[in-house]
Amino acid sequence: MNRVKVLQAWLWCVSLWPCWLSHAVPLDCKDETGSLIQCTSISQEKLLDRVIQHAELIYRVSEESCTLFEQMFVPYPLHALRNQGGTMCHTKPFPIPGSKSEIQQISDKWLLHSVLMLVQSWMEPLIYLQTTLNRYDDAPDTLLNKTKWVSDKLLSLEQGVVVLIRKMLDEGILTPSIFEHTLTPYDEPSPEIPESVLRDYNLLICFKKDAHKMETFLKLLKCRQSNKLSCLSY
Amino acid sequence: MNTCGIDPAHLRNRATEIKRETAEAMAYSLSLGLLYLGLLCGNGLVSARSELFTPDPSRGPHFTGCRSREQETFRCWWSAGIFQNLTEPGALRVFYQTKNALLSEWQECPDYTHTVKNECYFNKTFTHIWTSYCIQLRSVRENITYDETCFTVENIVHPDPPIGLNWTLLNVSRSGLHFDILVRWAPPPSADVQMGWMSLVYQVQYRVRNASHWEMLDLESGTQQSIYGLHTDKEYEVRVRCKMSAFDNFGEFSDSILVHVAQIPSKESTFPTMLVLIFGVIGLVILLVLLIFSQQQRLMVIFLPPIPAPKIKGIDPELLKNGKLDQLNSLLSSQDMYKPDFYHEDPWVEFIQLDLDDPPEKNESSDTQHRLGLSRSGSSHVLNFKSDDDSGRASCYDPEIPNPEDLASLLPGHSGRGDNHPLVSRSISSIPDLGVQQTSEVEETPIQTQPAVPSWVNMDFYAQVSDFTPAGGVVLSPGQLNSSPEKKKEEENEKKIQFQLVSDGAYTSENTARQLSTEVPPSPGPEQGYQTFPTQAVEGNLWNGEYLVSTSDSQIPYLLPEAPPAPILPPVSDYTVVQEVDAQHSLLLNPPSLQPAICPHSPNKHLPAMPTMPMGYLTPDLLGNLTP
Repeated sequence: MNRVKVLQAWLWCVSLWPCWLSHAVPLDCKDETGSLIQCTSISQEKLLDRVIQHAELIYRVSEESCTLFEQMFVPYPLHALRNQGGTMCHTKPFPIPGSKSEIQQISDKWLLHSVLMLVQSWMEPLIYLQTTLNRYDDAPDTLLNKTKWVSDKLLSLEQGVVVLIRKMLDEGILTPSIFEHTLTPYDEPSPEIPESVLRDYNLLICFKKDAHKMETFLKLLKCRQSNKLSCLSY
Repeated sequence: MNTCGIDPAHLRNRATEIKRETAEAMAYSLSLGLLYLGLLCGNGLVSARSELFTPDPSRGPHFTGCRSREQETFRCWWSAGIFQNLTEPGALRVFYQTKNALLSEWQECPDYTHTVKNECYFNKTFTHIWTSYCIQLRSVRENITYDETCFTVENIVHPDPPIGLNWTLLNVSRSGLHFDILVRWAPPPSADVQMGWMSLVYQVQYRVRNASHWEMLDLESGTQQSIYGLHTDKEYEVRVRCKMSAFDNFGEFSDSILVHVAQIPSKESTFPTMLVLIFGVIGLVILLVLLIFSQQQRLMVIFLPPIPAPKIKGIDPELLKNGKLDQLNSLLSSQDMYKPDFYHEDPWVEFIQLDLDDPPEKNESSDTQHRLGLSRSGSSHVLNFKSDDDSGRASCYDPEIPNPEDLASLLPGHSGRGDNHPLVSRSISSIPDLGVQQTSEVEETPIQTQPAVPSWVNMDFYAQVSDFTPAGGVVLSPGQLNSSPEKKKEEENEKKIQFQLVSDGAYTSENTARQLSTEVPPSPGPEQGYQTFPTQAVEGNLWNGEYLVSTSDSQIPYLLPEAPPAPILPPVSDYTVVQEVDAQHSLLLNPPSLQPAICPHSPNKHLPAMPTMPMGYLTPDLLGNLTP
């Protein structure tokens, strides 16, 4: 069943790949000579839809990566760790409310910014994850491909969110990266399998959780855009 | 503080902490973990509520499960187990802790449900998703922690079943045996799908009523799904359940709905089909017939192509039809094909060297040598023959039988013996004498015994025209060969040799060819004039002219190799068919049609575009034109 899901998601990713490529057009359009030309523009609604699709896809792929990793490397009794949602996720510091009512009270601006922060905070850890996964002897190719794919998609998600912020909030964000990423990959010659396995497992769990956050926030944002009343009133 | 980067030391601390926690989890949550793992890892597992919350009586107090319906609240249940003294309320208490960055203290359950025994309810304010909870089951009096488990709320969400399940008929198959339906439902009202709080995926199951096995369809993120290939006259049950996407916990199944489509007898549909078929076929047949009749001419041309009319290159076919032989004759004579030098070019013609000056040598050796030479050349010709391109000569020959056999048979010493087939025997005996390379060939060639006298011997392929009758007929001299073959044999050995080949080459029948084992072609067909000859440099006159002109010549224009013991005279006809007209306006006549050997190649090959004279007798007017 997991294999089927993996295959399905992979097929979906592959089929959507050109879709995403075509979407990754920055609004500052310049031709070869450097002059600004008319860009192909899309509406804010469509952009938000696409951003949400991105987030959904990333979330699903992250879940599959986690499952793959769990099946391959994590001993069976430790699967309960997944249930615990990750003991230590590095994005904990900035507080994100967990209850629905609290989240509903968050403003659009805060939602977008938190999404952006989440995206940016995960870029480097994913690259780190790629390098560590390569060190495993029998890491399945699908897992490596998924992590690579996710890190690529995260970039385009960041772009989309930046554009959204600019459009919806009329703000401009200059620097894409706010956080200093000091997560350096271990250069242990032969890391103990349990440690690195647990560490990576934890990383994947945390990433899945944060991807879920991103998706939820964006969907809430969409709900607000389309129908403010039903989303806020509860 | 460095909120994002994790230095290695910190990571190591985390790792050790993880180790410790792992040990704890293993120790304490193994029993509980099995339940959870059964939910998480086995996707196909349907954990009924009754099963999940069946406490294990053999254990001590433990949690039996935690569930959330809508990701906004959740509940936990526990059981006292074997410790019956703890069943009274309040004996066991639940403490929880949210594992955020700050290790908060343990708090007691916010709400013990009064209506339900051993249930702890966390309402909205206490439910935080994306945070890890740990709950403990303690007996405060004894200060013992009997059970502990950790989870995040989204991992324990089991959505409510969808509502509003109904079906509509999509279509029924032509045969009326199968049908397709579209099943629709609505998401559970408790799940806030609109806001995106929960993203649900659904799974539809169906089965024949009261069957044991449910058919499962793929997960569907929408709220409708089609089911194909259901049988009419069977009652089906359909149900649906949902789960959060990217999670593994299915909710409860909805109530089943019944689907039933009665089978409609569709015999009426077949009747018009048959009629349509019949009428269609009839119409098609009528159309075809009409088509054939209208396009008769064209079809005739396509299917029965006309036989091409006689055509000579450069000559109008009308001339031939109308019988204007004057013009025809002039045309023909002007053609290059009957020039005399044509025959000079043919080597076989050259071969026909009537060596009349040389006395017939009785010397065997010379003859032998002569024949050897001939044979050699002949053999060489034989050997080359196969590779030699015909250059237009009719090559109706039997290539398997080599030439030397004939030569060998013509040795003077061996001729005239009363063997059954002198040729054969001689060939065998004379082979060692020759000592030529054809030895093996000769030995190997099958020697055909002549059962009877070949009729070819006495056959006149070309009869000598001795006179013309006033009426216009041609009088031919009868064959003279049968008179004294043995007498003449010595005289004409050499000629025989040469003519042998010649005759074998040109004017012998198939039988001859077989028996003489030459490479020469068999008897001429009606069209055949000059047959193939082994290429030999025989200088000589025109074969043609000598042959026909020398009527008074005692030499036999055609050669008999041996006299058969009992010659059978073929009937010599006074009238024979004019075969062709050569360049010198001589007639080449047909042999009497005894040997209907047909050459595979048309003799017209070597005589390009020879006009096919009408088969038959010469008419006077034709004859008048032909006299030189």
